[in-house]
Amino acid sequence: MDLWNQLLQGFATAGTPVNLLWALLGCTIGTAVGVLPGIGPATAVAMLLPITTKVDATASMIFFAGIYYGAMYGGSTTSILLNTPGESGSMVTAMEGNRMAKNGRAGAALATAAIGSFVAGTIATVLVTLFAPLVAAYAVRLGPPEYFLLMVLAFTTVSAVLGKSTLRGFAALGVGLALGLIGIDQITGQARYTGGVPELMDGIEVVLIAVGLFAVGEALYMVLYEGKTVETQNRMSKVHMTAAEWKRSWPAWLRATAIGFPFGTIPAGGSEIPTFLSYAAEKKLSKHKKEFGTTGAIEGVAGPEAANNAAITATLIPLLTLGIPTSNTTAILLGAFQNYGINPGPQLFDKNAALVWALIASLYIGNVMLLVLNLPLVGMWVKLLKIPKPHLYAGILIFATVGVYGMRQSAFDLVLLYGIGLLGVIMRRFDFPTAPVVVGMILGPLAEAQMRNALSIGEGRWTIFLQRPGSLALLIVVIAVLLLPYLVKAFRRKT
Amino acid sequence: MKGPAPQLAIGVGTVALGAALGLGAIGISSDAGYSGVGPNFLPWVVGGVLLACGVLLVREALTGGYRNMEEPSGAASGHWPGFAWVSAGILLNAMLITTIGFILSCALCFVLAVRGFKSSQDRLDLSLRALAVDTAIGFAIAAPVYWMFSQLLAINLPGLTSTGWI
Repeated sequence: MDLWNQLLQGFATAGTPVNLLWALLGCTIGTAVGVLPGIGPATAVAMLLPITTKVDATASMIFFAGIYYGAMYGGSTTSILLNTPGESGSMVTAMEGNRMAKNGRAGAALATAAIGSFVAGTIATVLVTLFAPLVAAYAVRLGPPEYFLLMVLAFTTVSAVLGKSTLRGFAALGVGLALGLIGIDQITGQARYTGGVPELMDGIEVVLIAVGLFAVGEALYMVLYEGKTVETQNRMSKVHMTAAEWKRSWPAWLRATAIGFPFGTIPAGGSEIPTFLSYAAEKKLSKHKKEFGTTGAIEGVAGPEAANNAAITATLIPLLTLGIPTSNTTAILLGAFQNYGINPGPQLFDKNAALVWALIASLYIGNVMLLVLNLPLVGMWVKLLKIPKPHLYAGILIFATVGVYGMRQSAFDLVLLYGIGLLGVIMRRFDFPTAPVVVGMILGPLAEAQMRNALSIGEGRWTIFLQRPGSLALLIVVIAVLLLPYLVKAFRRKT
Repeated sequence: MKGPAPQLAIGVGTVALGAALGLGAIGISSDAGYSGVGPNFLPWVVGGVLLACGVLLVREALTGGYRNMEEPSGAASGHWPGFAWVSAGILLNAMLITTIGFILSCALCFVLAVRGFKSSQDRLDLSLRALAVDTAIGFAIAAPVYWMFSQLLAINLPGLTSTGWI
């Protein structure tokens, strides 16, 4: 019953009027950035990181979490109504959702997406409540060698598994790790790669990299290449599901939750893989196969949307219990924790129990808020899509300035921001993944510290990683993840 | 930006970055303490990884281009006039923000960027009316943001005056 008490405590903290307001504000901003093209949850959280200097930790984590999963709700609205997905996790929703909307069933698609997100988000939150403390209790026993290899596993999956090319993934990871090296070494206090520039002594802010890659990069890409891309908007219809549509939706929601949740917990994060898997499963199991790819099948929206939300809620488990981010947004959330001097990890559940449980409680509350924000009020968000692109993107540049300048009050950072924006354009144009840059930059210094601690334990011998069963197992997993695609390819060629 | 030339350039750039990291690593102490590896260890590794990735990228670029490329979205060639407008907006903002203050500087950035985005849509409008409208919108976004940060959150953003209102 200890769990129950802590959760109630969490609700008491999250339920204070001030914190409820922060949650509502987060969910609202989250939905808005999800709906708007050109800005996603990672950018929005990054731009708002300066508030960590003034707002207390619990309130701002509730706020940021609201933005994080609010964006997933909002993203579905854009991908159903426009022919461009608002978020990468909504790409699959766009396939069937768009077809449904073209056939006058936009309302039903929006309803199944929002309710499915709610069902999956809530079930996933229950699972986080039950399992996060268990994982944390287990993780206390992990030593530096295991931590280091868990982080290496996160690096490997983020760069090798998620992208199209292992090579481009690792190049991006290298850039991220290099950015993370700039500044003072944590263990010896020696300056690295600062070139005598005092601004670089404290390292480069993650805000700068995230906002540069995503917001400024996106804006520059837009002006260079997408000015003439014409978007068509589908007509809205009444947000309503028939009994038959309900009957087809709910099994899809549950199956998708079962698919999405495990994917969020392992360090192979991102919501793209589970949404694709869920889509494939629904297509295979559906009794209405003819609707897929033609008039639009409701299962094809219900499943991926639910999988998406289950996965992103589950990413909080590795973030909170191990301190390992597996996506852009969780990497920036980790940065937010660090701004408070809090290091997420197994001790978080002891040292900052009040904060963690308030955060988890706020997930339950936020899901209810988002259901209300996205079902009855969906018309309001659709109006956002009418903002002319030039003004939208120019406005994003103003917010980018606030986020970056507000963090360190340095005009030098604004010039760097432009440089990172150019890097973002090149990466997008030549299909380099961006998540490895952000994850590498945030996690790199932590991984380095764990590695050096591990080697201290082993008195300088690398065999320490082979001697412990936990680290040996992880090492084998890392190698398997790297080699598996090649082995599969070789096997296919043979048969 | 198609064909092997830009891809080759990116590969060479990656090699250069790796080499630069390696050169920088020479100057970092190798004092290892108990752990056997010092603060210069990871820089060497990352430099090596980037160097290797760069060489492989160059090889891919020379032998038929990057593998498994997702076709980039949008036009085949860049719209450079629009790019120049937006770049001017961002860079002028960086240069002027401390002297003319956040609100004016951001409004200027907004106006320039809108012109860039519109020109990329072939709808560039240099009339005074459009200028007035965009300036007003720029102010309407920048001013409340500034007030919210400086008055409510007490985060220092530069102003033209020290009143905290402009």
